[in-house]
Amino acid sequence: METIGFLMQGFAVALTPENLMFALFGAFVGTLIGCLPGLGPANGVAILIPLAFTLGLSPETAMILLTAVYAGAMYGGRISSILLNIPGDEPAMMTCLDGYPMARSGRAADALAISAVASFAGGLIGTLGLILLAPVLARFALTFGPAEYFALFLLAFATLGGITGKNPMKTVIAAALGIMVSTVGIDISTGTQRYTFGVLELYEGIDFILAIVGLFAISELLFFIEHKAGGGRDRVLVGKLTLTLKELVSTIPTQLRGGVLGFIAGVLPGAGASLGSFISYTLEKQVVGKKGKFGEGDIRGVVAPEAGNNGASSGALVPMLTLGVPGSGTTAVLLAMLISLNITPGPLMFTQNADLVWGVIAALLVGNLLLLVLNIPMIGIFVRLLSVPPMYLLPIVTMVAFVGIYSISNSAFDLYFMVAFGVAGYFLRKLEIPLVPIILGLLLGPEMEKNLSHAMVLSDGDWSILWASPLAMGLWIFAGLGLALPYLVGPLLRRRMREAIKESPVSD
Amino acid sequence: MTGLGDRILGLGLLILAIAYGWAAQQWPEPFGGAETVGPETFPTILAVVLAAGSLYLMLKPDPDAQWPLGKTALELVIAVVILVVYAVLMEPLGFVIATTFAVSLLSWRMGAGLRPAFLTGLVSAVAVYVLFNFGLSLSLPAGLLEVH
Repeated sequence: METIGFLMQGFAVALTPENLMFALFGAFVGTLIGCLPGLGPANGVAILIPLAFTLGLSPETAMILLTAVYAGAMYGGRISSILLNIPGDEPAMMTCLDGYPMARSGRAADALAISAVASFAGGLIGTLGLILLAPVLARFALTFGPAEYFALFLLAFATLGGITGKNPMKTVIAAALGIMVSTVGIDISTGTQRYTFGVLELYEGIDFILAIVGLFAISELLFFIEHKAGGGRDRVLVGKLTLTLKELVSTIPTQLRGGVLGFIAGVLPGAGASLGSFISYTLEKQVVGKKGKFGEGDIRGVVAPEAGNNGASSGALVPMLTLGVPGSGTTAVLLAMLISLNITPGPLMFTQNADLVWGVIAALLVGNLLLLVLNIPMIGIFVRLLSVPPMYLLPIVTMVAFVGIYSISNSAFDLYFMVAFGVAGYFLRKLEIPLVPIILGLLLGPEMEKNLSHAMVLSDGDWSILWASPLAMGLWIFAGLGLALPYLVGPLLRRRMREAIKESPVSD
Repeated sequence: MTGLGDRILGLGLLILAIAYGWAAQQWPEPFGGAETVGPETFPTILAVVLAAGSLYLMLKPDPDAQWPLGKTALELVIAVVILVVYAVLMEPLGFVIATTFAVSLLSWRMGAGLRPAFLTGLVSAVAVYVLFNFGLSLSLPAGLLEVH
């Protein structure tokens, strides 16, 4: 039971006053990010990275802060789903189906409370799964050679669009663009200058943090301006809590099912939190059958997707921590933080940076507890902030992004670059080129090239080493499937998700 | 013609892929002789992948997106200009003045009234400046407001 020993060690890290304080701060900010319009979780975490740097936080504290934000954002997404029928983030879409009808029939407070409990249950189940699965997977990953890693990176890109993704070719293009940007600078192994055009600032390569912040934050501002979505929303009244203990107990099986399903969806490449909450909701509907009133404000219809999406968000950390291969936008941004802290992600992290890994895992447990406490009594504050109009909020968020980037290097040159990335991000999003593969390409590009050249050195220039071992071959096949499946089953799944939403009587 | 956006993008990416791949072939052989994987190998692979992707885009483009026209497009250009000018003026004018201008203008263009927009800009600029310079002892440029 060495896992328990490590976990205790992790708690020792997570429970120091400083780390606890940052976890609380992160949980609060995360919930805020989740519920505010125009600030997705990936975007929010990205903006906080430069700040974590300039504060000079230790690696443990910085990662605890960002994971708390990540967990918090998953809690926050449900608030506007329930009160306004507008999902705060993508995975919270399914929560609208029964959450909003509950709010309309005067049970908004109940829906918010039960969904907080469900989020807690999902997060807890997901984190327990992470504790059990991650060390096993990390040990397995130690057997990977460079060829296997190369194939694994390909798999990560191929499945990033997800089974529900629209055009896998655009994922490929986005990934290629991201990796291309990462090749700018002096080549590490030979010292050749690549694509620097003699510009001094480019010698060290393009800092991926400014690319991430630019792509997300600036392009979001431009989208809001385009859609003229600057106006605020009306204040919503929440009302009194009437949830009974009996009702709470009756949803426990739903919470368990949702959490486990969500976790599985989170671990698997290409599924992610959105699919996690969708599967949890659909399965719950099947299990309960005709007895339920799904779509009209059934309490289980709020519990299932919330448990699912929080389980999935913890599950998504498994491949990120053990293999260094994130499966979602937000975990990619967390990976960016790890790389910039000079920590090599992957299986070795579990032995070399045990304090950090287990500190983060323990902080997830602590963070979930903090979030539950934050989200029930303090829900009024978040609800009030929901009505802050984006026309004040987004300029301030943009300014914070500027401050963060400027404070890393104290040079205006980086700011021009960030704006350029923002404009590029706007055009790419308009053309439906996904941004997450670009970010992943920026992060994984150097690793991919390193593994490719190591593999070639090992095989003395024989390219077939890349698919020689059965494991590598399997990864290649899955990568191929990841690109082919969206063509085959994607349209069907997407239609199902749309129909599920249309069925609900309140889609007006 | 439908899918014009994707076709133009595909053409642009194809040109990028060719330029990127061509540039990779121009680098001198690294000191110590060539190996199977040199500095140009990986970029060459990327150029081929991107070229294939861009050809696909040109042949099978998705339906076009709704592009903003007229006034909305102008607003977008204004926003980008504000951001660039903000970056240019941050050091010479100092953080507080530049930020007040940038945040006020942006929130005014997004539909806020002039007074609330200006107040948002001023308050957020001063708050962040005080927090960073005195709370976290990180220096943001003081610019014109510097006390000599």
